Amino acid sequence: MRLVLSWLREFVDLDAPAEDIAEKLSIRGFEVASMEALDGGDAVIDFEITANRPDCLSVIGLAREIATTYSLPLRDREQTPSLASGRSDRLAIHLDDQELCPRYAGAVADVKIGPSPGWLTARLHAAGVRPISNIVDITNYVNLEIGQPMHAFDLAKLAGPEIRVRRAKRGESIVTLDDVERKLDPDMLVIADCDRAQAIAGVMGGAASEVSASSTVIVLESAYFKPSSVRRTSKRLGLKTEASARFERGADIGAQVRAIERAAALIAQIGAGRIAVPVVDCYPQPRGPVRIVLRRTRLGQLLGAQVPDGDVERILRALGLDVRANADGWETVAPTFRVDLLREADLIEEVGRHYGFDRLDATFPVATAPAPAPDPRIARDQVVRRVMTAAGASEAITFAFIEAKAAEPFASVLGGAMPVAVANPLSAKFDTLRPLLLPGLVDAVAHNRRHGRRDVRLFEIGTRFAPGGETRALGVAWTGNGAAEHWSGGARDVDFFDVKGVVERVCDALGVGVRCEPASQPFLVAGQTASIVVDDGPARGEAIGLIGQVSPAIADARGLPRHDRVFVVELNLDRLAAVRAPASDAARPIPRYPFVVRDVSIVVADSLPAEIIRGTIHGAARAVPSPLAAISFFDRYQGKGVPEGAVSLSIRLTFQSSERTLTDAEVQQSFETILGALVREHGAVQR
Amino acid sequence: MPADLLPNAESVAQHVAAFERELAAAASPRDAQSIRDRYLGRKNSVTASWMQLIASAPPDQKKNIGRYANELKQAIEARWTQYGEHAAATARPAGAVDVTLPGRLPALGHRHPLTVVRDRLEEIFTRMGFTVVEGPEVEDEWHCFDALNMPAEHPARDMQDTLYLATPMPGLDGDPRERTLLRTHTSTMQIRYMQAHQPPIRIVAPGRVYRRDNLDLTHSPAFAQVEALVVGEGISLADLKGTLLAFAREMFSPNIRLRFRASFFPYTEPSAELDVSCWQCDGAGCAMCKKSGWIELGGCGMVHPAVFEAVGYDAERYTGFAWGIGIERIAILRYQVEDIRLFYENDLRFLEQFPY
Repeated sequence: MRLVLSWLREFVDLDAPAEDIAEKLSIRGFEVASMEALDGGDAVIDFEITANRPDCLSVIGLAREIATTYSLPLRDREQTPSLASGRSDRLAIHLDDQELCPRYAGAVADVKIGPSPGWLTARLHAAGVRPISNIVDITNYVNLEIGQPMHAFDLAKLAGPEIRVRRAKRGESIVTLDDVERKLDPDMLVIADCDRAQAIAGVMGGAASEVSASSTVIVLESAYFKPSSVRRTSKRLGLKTEASARFERGADIGAQVRAIERAAALIAQIGAGRIAVPVVDCYPQPRGPVRIVLRRTRLGQLLGAQVPDGDVERILRALGLDVRANADGWETVAPTFRVDLLREADLIEEVGRHYGFDRLDATFPVATAPAPAPDPRIARDQVVRRVMTAAGASEAITFAFIEAKAAEPFASVLGGAMPVAVANPLSAKFDTLRPLLLPGLVDAVAHNRRHGRRDVRLFEIGTRFAPGGETRALGVAWTGNGAAEHWSGGARDVDFFDVKGVVERVCDALGVGVRCEPASQPFLVAGQTASIVVDDGPARGEAIGLIGQVSPAIADARGLPRHDRVFVVELNLDRLAAVRAPASDAARPIPRYPFVVRDVSIVVADSLPAEIIRGTIHGAARAVPSPLAAISFFDRYQGKGVPEGAVSLSIRLTFQSSERTLTDAEVQQSFETILGALVREHGAVQR
Repeated sequence: MPADLLPNAESVAQHVAAFERELAAAASPRDAQSIRDRYLGRKNSVTASWMQLIASAPPDQKKNIGRYANELKQAIEARWTQYGEHAAATARPAGAVDVTLPGRLPALGHRHPLTVVRDRLEEIFTRMGFTVVEGPEVEDEWHCFDALNMPAEHPARDMQDTLYLATPMPGLDGDPRERTLLRTHTSTMQIRYMQAHQPPIRIVAPGRVYRRDNLDLTHSPAFAQVEALVVGEGISLADLKGTLLAFAREMFSPNIRLRFRASFFPYTEPSAELDVSCWQCDGAGCAMCKKSGWIELGGCGMVHPAVFEAVGYDAERYTGFAWGIGIERIAILRYQVEDIRLFYENDLRFLEQFPY
């Protein structure tokens, strides 16, 4: 709302500079978008008006705020004479829908259309409105001054001296002032003559009855339309106007006749014609006053400060409320232009705002109960974050929405369902909710690679979406070095087992044992893909994530260099936390008896998974006298000395008892039993 | 041998000086040893040749020659010992390493700056007795709007351009006729928490929110907020001020001042925008605060009674306050980042500047 200061001064006798007004008002809820000086010492302040204050989309509304701020009287406009209202033989108004239009005032005017005088066009210009012709300019002027939108119809172009406020008929349409044909529906309110719609109520007039240079008799409309109805209509038609913006926030249901009176005075003042009396004011069910009780104790309690009674009354009265003091506080009546004042808290805001929030104390609320435990996901995510940074990965945050094309190859994880689509995306880049964190992470890797970074290790903890709901996951992407370059050597590229190790660490940190099973996914390289499966507890066997190398097709599509090997992980953290079997916190005693180590190298078929061998060893160990404490695979060799299709595995078995020192003989016997099982079940040959 | 060539005090001094010079120039321990041998060795050394002179010298000189030879020998030995001690003290011990070579850095990743800020916020508020809670990012309209005093057709819904899902998502407990959306603010957590708990309440709810915005220098369609809610008997606007002041002093600077500008949010009454005095210039005006001396942090206010009514609280008995602050906003100010997109690009050259 562009407030012209000379216009303001017609209502408030104020000589404060624009900067001072701007600063004081911005503290009181009217943010200043800009200020500009005009010729002749005048100035304009452009205020941003919040949705709850349609009354301040007018000079008088802001003048009232400013008068309250500076404790100055608000001057009423004495020069506006009142007009008689009643039945008119020149205009009939039928209110068919009182719900959508509770009040409609109209007046006939005999006019001479022409340009407006210079002072009026200058003021409209300053306020940011383009002058058109005297009558249209006056309706705009009144709207700016008192906040009541008006419309003028050319009476000669109506089917008769009759206005009907009704819902649009099915299939009805209208060509609006902007020369667009608009299809209407029966939820929309129109202003019609006896034949057809001539305006979309509160939104825009029709071209057919537009005031033109040849108009001589006009009908001036000044109405109140139901805010939600105007809003719905404006939204559905995609048509936002000055008028609709005011009506949808709530016009002043007490201002309709006053607006016509003001227009009449202006028409007379500039010699554009005269308004015929009586004014026709259809207001069949006048609204009762909005009474609000304000209790002194509640005011003190909510603000945390005692505001002197005198200040409370001064502020509320200056804002236009009718205020009556009683023993506990005040009985008030809110003015019709303050559509936002409905209950006690609203009045407390008014008092606080003008009394000054800065004058209130700063206290700290007393705690009366201990704080309950936080969301368990917070501690869980922090553990995961700690493990991931310790694994050398930096944290990424990518967008939860991606483009449909990028989501498509990953949709296989949704088991046949489509990724979740955004109904009203602003750009195709953000039209799909990610089914996995991986697409965003792969793009982040590509970004870093494009900028010359060879080694990229990223992780993200974030939300992903499936048609059935959202879950939180850990995503990891790793390319380049597995072990860093160093002058002492030892650099090596990342491989499957680097990322698998990270997964094992994360799962271990959250108390869940997991194993990998070969799997396939269209976005991962065949043979380098695994499903992460819970290995203990009641959820044993449940797949909770995947590991693999990003397929070259995806890498290519996302702008990664062709030969890059990017390993990724996606792990469902919600499931991971849920499947955790309760475990004792008790520390295990440190073994008191020595351990005995036996190494063995065996040659087996290279298609035999290590997991199976481990199972065989565990199985055999159950029947041997020496407890097997640990198995480790410490070497794997293929090549000279090992037949084609076979592999040599070196396995270290550690035996240890918590009760006694193991003898050489029993360890040897245990070892041989285990070896026997490997020979028997897998045809293993000891090397 | 002429008398003037016989050893004398001067030639002793000359030899000692020459020995020192040669020793200082020795390139290796072996080199030093051969220098020493040339002066002290039993054969062909200076001292040895002087001793040999005694036999052929005139009798009156024998004693002198012996004395000078002895002096020379002692002086050279003393310097040799000294040299040896010095060499022992300065020599590289066996197995010595070049300690100036780069170490093997254990891999260690960095937290995202938005996480660093969030962790700090959580730490401060936890110490003030707040509980940290989280909630869903996909929401129903009731939790996002209706319960927050923004019924359908309310103009305030325009303030936050909302992204809706093409098909509703199950599992939310709102009105099934309403659409599913991506939450536009973390205020949804006020409703979810109050539905599940009774006062007193003191929570902060960090999380990601979504708006129908384009990605540019200062806007992002997704960003993070932290919501705070305190509800109890007798909670006042003064308490809101005190809590925010304590937070701002911890987060930014102990000298910070607050400014509350009246504003409008449907779910608070009174409502205000929260500004903090610029901690770079202490309010004098600088580039960071765009010469205003103040920095806008977020919105706050006293919980609107309609919100309490929506969750079935006694709005007469309980009062409360709430606020929402943008995490990117704090990170932008604190790290002086001019382009919000840096937070989502995940460029390691950026990420690696932040704490582990």
